[in-house]
Parts: sequence; structure tokens; C-alpha cells
Amino acid sequence: MDERRLKESFERVGAHGDEVALFFYSHLFLGHPEVRDMFPISMSEQRDRLLNALGRIVSDVGNLDSLVPFLKDLGRDHRKFGVAPEHYPAVGASLLAALTHFSGSAWNAELAADWAAAYGVIAEVMTGAAAEDERNPPWWDGAIVGHERRTCDIAVLKVSTRQPMPYLPGQSVALEYERRPRLWRLFSMANAPRLDGTLDFHVRIIDGGQVTGALVHDPGIGSAVRLGPPVGAMRIDTRSDRPIVMAAGSTGLAPLKAMLEHLAAGQTSGRREPPPTHLIVGARAAAELYDVADLEKMAARWPWLTVTPAVSAEKTQRAERGTVADVLARLGTWRDHDAYVCGSSAMVAATTSRLEALGTPPERIFVEDFGWSES
Amino acid sequence: MYPDRLTPEFVQSVHFPSARLGRRGLDEARVQAFCEWVESELVRLLNERTALEEEVWRLRERVRETDTVRPEDGHVQAVYILSRAQQTADKYVANAQEYSRDIAEDARRRREDILAEAKMRASVILDEAHASATHAVVEHTAGVLSAPVLSSEPLSTEQRQELETELTYLRTFSNVCRTHLRAYLESLTRSIDEWEHADQTAGRGARSAGRSI
Repeated sequence: MDERRLKESFERVGAHGDEVALFFYSHLFLGHPEVRDMFPISMSEQRDRLLNALGRIVSDVGNLDSLVPFLKDLGRDHRKFGVAPEHYPAVGASLLAALTHFSGSAWNAELAADWAAAYGVIAEVMTGAAAEDERNPPWWDGAIVGHERRTCDIAVLKVSTRQPMPYLPGQSVALEYERRPRLWRLFSMANAPRLDGTLDFHVRIIDGGQVTGALVHDPGIGSAVRLGPPVGAMRIDTRSDRPIVMAAGSTGLAPLKAMLEHLAAGQTSGRREPPPTHLIVGARAAAELYDVADLEKMAARWPWLTVTPAVSAEKTQRAERGTVADVLARLGTWRDHDAYVCGSSAMVAATTSRLEALGTPPERIFVEDFGWSES
Repeated sequence: MYPDRLTPEFVQSVHFPSARLGRRGLDEARVQAFCEWVESELVRLLNERTALEEEVWRLRERVRETDTVRPEDGHVQAVYILSRAQQTADKYVANAQEYSRDIAEDARRRREDILAEAKMRASVILDEAHASATHAVVEHTAGVLSAPVLSSEPLSTEQRQELETELTYLRTFSNVCRTHLRAYLESLTRSIDEWEHADQTAGRGARSAGRSI
């Protein structure tokens, strides 16, 4: 397998962009119509994902330390779509067909052998990781058991899973909702694991979004959901003695709330009191501070916790005026703190750079970027 | 003495020497007849071969013309057709999403306008109520100041009556205030209902338009 030849070949084929992925999926579905049902109606997002993953794989082909964990995650992650080992050769054949087609006269036996070998390795690592993961279910079946609409755009959902799903507070899951099949969206668990196994999710409407609107307006109690395996690396370091500052933008609060509950649970299970923790929770308008009542109860119960709401777009007596970053800067320096930041991309970027400017070392700033943008 | 290939010309030019005297030779006429038959046969075969060569050439040409269509090309055509269908579906979904995003953004704007207006109206109503209440208190104070109300003496029947009148007035005033607010809230609810109804009608229109496509 010649690394340079492979990269050159992918560059040539990749120049055709979306067409390549389009050809690949059409080829796959014609040969294996039963696979089509694993995908949503619109395939545009899916094609972007495929091209990104292929690009990542090809650019990392000489760097196995980075590539193998990526492929393992990918392999495990594909279990929730119902992907089985027997699907891999079909995908390989269609991938080769697409590469052949878009390589034109540049395609030859050597390239065919290179790509076949490369795909062989990819499939082996992915199926291997999926097989190692067999002790966990490929997904968790659940149902919506609670729906509380807190604002026009935000609801808190309670989900109960048939089998308990172990996770670490701060993690997220991909969720598929029965009325929006094949559309998986990431949400963070907003609570530490409970005895009854129920999970809270804070859902905010993304305008034009196919899933969030339905979940916030009227998801239907009892509606089925599927949860993929918990993902995400943000978790609270319970061994750290440093004080903690948490910055939440809108529903970015969810994983931070779960971590707060986790801190409190550590205390009740006999450990010392958690370090002083300051949560700043931000919104544009006071009416969008959807969880303040609950947070205030938590702060009243746990003396180590301080909660400061921040509102950026209007004057109100219920909150500090300004963005989360502004309010952070006004309240202190946070130089000795562990910082956890979660919210929209813009909020995370602004807050992180402000914290760094205030002297918090970058390696102690932990971030979860939700990807959505504040409208 | 013979050429590489047998040709009709050669057969024609063959000369058989005469048989020696005293020996019976070949029947010259029979030899001649044979040669004629060989010649005609060869001509027929050569013509046939030329025709076959032409046929082969013609077929080769046809194969060359259609050489760009390889066996798997039927599949490639199918892939293209499916791809176009998929793109059409993608476009419909994208359009629907864009439409719903526009509606959501519009609704948010209108919601914010309505809320802002409601806040303003509420503060006007409150201001009015506050002004009237202050006025009432001023009048009341003026009324009782003429009487020794600050003394520790118990209130006279007259004073009590006056205060009760005042109290009744305030109760009435608060009722009026509530009625005002309620009426305003109801008109708000009505306009929201109308809006919702209009939206649903528009939604139905859009859906039936969608079906007719």
C-alpha cells in the first residue's frame, strides 16, 4: 500500500466533491436496497459526513496512532444504525466503484490494489471495535416519560430506558425520535445517573431543524426514542482540589448540571465537601433562563455552590447584565479554577478566550461545543 | 514450379504435355473439363471469402462504435438516475426546512413585538392605576387632616364612614383595574388565536399545494 499514491488518488477523486459521495450511495443502494432504510430521506448531511471521514482517514493513513482510535469510535458508533459485519464488503465494493469511476484513465491495477488493501484495514478495525463492544447493546430503547415546556423554544424532556444506560455526567448521546426516524441528534444528559435510570435532556429549538421543533412542541408522552452509546470527553475531575467555575450558554447548561449533581452525590457518598463552585448561566433574555428556579434550589441546598444568571440582551433585576464572558470578567479572575464551558460555538469561543485572558491556564479549561449557533 | 497459392489463373495456365506415342495418354477433354470446374470453384470460394471479410469488417466496426458501453455501464446509468432522484429529494427537504426556518424566525419576531407591546401597555395601565391611587390617597388625607385623625382618640362615626367610602372606592378601583387588564389580555389571546388559525390555514394550503406537485 503506497501512502503517497493513495493520497494523490484521493485528491484527484475528491475534486469531484459531493458527486463522489452521491455516486457511492446510489451504487450501494442499487446493489443492496435493504441498506437504504438505515438512512434518512435527505442524504446531504450524510454525504458531507462520508467525505469528511474519508478525508480524515486518507490524511491520517500514515499516522495510525490517531487513525485507529478514530476508526474504532466509528465502528462502535455504527452499531446503533444496525450495521453488521456483512455490510462492510458491500460498502467496500461501492467505494471502489466510485473511486474507479471518478479516477477515469488514472485508475489502474496498482491503485485498485492500494484501495482494496486500505479499505480492508478500515473494515477490519471498525468491525473489530464493534465486536469488542458486543457486551453493550448497539442502542438503548427508551420512551419519553416527561415533557415540560419551559419557554417558547426550550423544553426539558425526561426519558426512561428499558435497560439502564451507564454514562458519566458531562457525556452526551445521539438520540433518534420515532417521529423523525433516522435523524440522530446529540443531546447531553442533564442529570447524574439516578436510581430509576431516567434521563433529562434540555432541548432547544433550532429554527428549521427537523428534530428539535417536534421535541419541544409536542413530542407525545410515551413516544419511543433510541439512544446511541454515551460519548464526549468532558467530565468533572473529582480528585481536583481547585475551585470550579462553570459557564453555561442556554441549554449548554445540561452537561454542567449533571456534573454538579455528580459533585453533590460524591459528597453524600461520604467524601469531603466539593470545592467552591460558581455557575454562571447565560441567556439573551430573562424569559429564556429556563432552569433558574431549579438551580436556585440546588444553590440553597449546597453551600459550596453559587449560581449567577446572566442576561445579555435586556435589562432585568433577575440577572446580571451581559454575556457569560462579560459577567465572568466582572465577578473575578478565576486564575486558580478548573473551568468548564458549554454552549454555542460563539459562546464557547468568547468565554474560553476571556478565561484565558483572565489567567486561567488553557489546560484547565474544559469545553463542550454544541455546534449550534445562537440566533 | 507451382505458385504458393492455387489460383484460377494458374489452373487455367496448366499445360499437360502430350502422352508418348504408343501409350495411351490422358483424355485431354476430361482434363480440360476438370480444370474448368476447379477454376469456377475457386472463383466461387474467393468471392465468398471477400463477402465474409466484408461482413467481419462491418461487425468489427459496429463493435468498435459501441465499445464505450462496457458491460457495467448499464449499472452506471442506473446510479446516475438514482443520484438525480436523491438530489431531488434532498432539495425538497432543504426547501421545507428553509420554509419552516423562515416561519419560525417570523413568529419569533412577532412574539417579541407582541411581548414588548404588552409590557408597554401593562406599564401604562399600572402607571394610571398608581396615579389614581395616589390621587385617592391625597384626597383622603386632605379629608381626614381636617379632622383630628392623628390623635389617639377613637374614630368618630363620621370619620369611619368616610374611611369606608374611601375603601369602597379603592376596591372599586382595583376591580376596574383588573377588568381593564383582563380585557386587554383577552384581546391579546384573541389576536394570538387568530394568528394561529391563519397559520394553520396557511399550513393546510401549503400541504395541499405540496400534494398537487
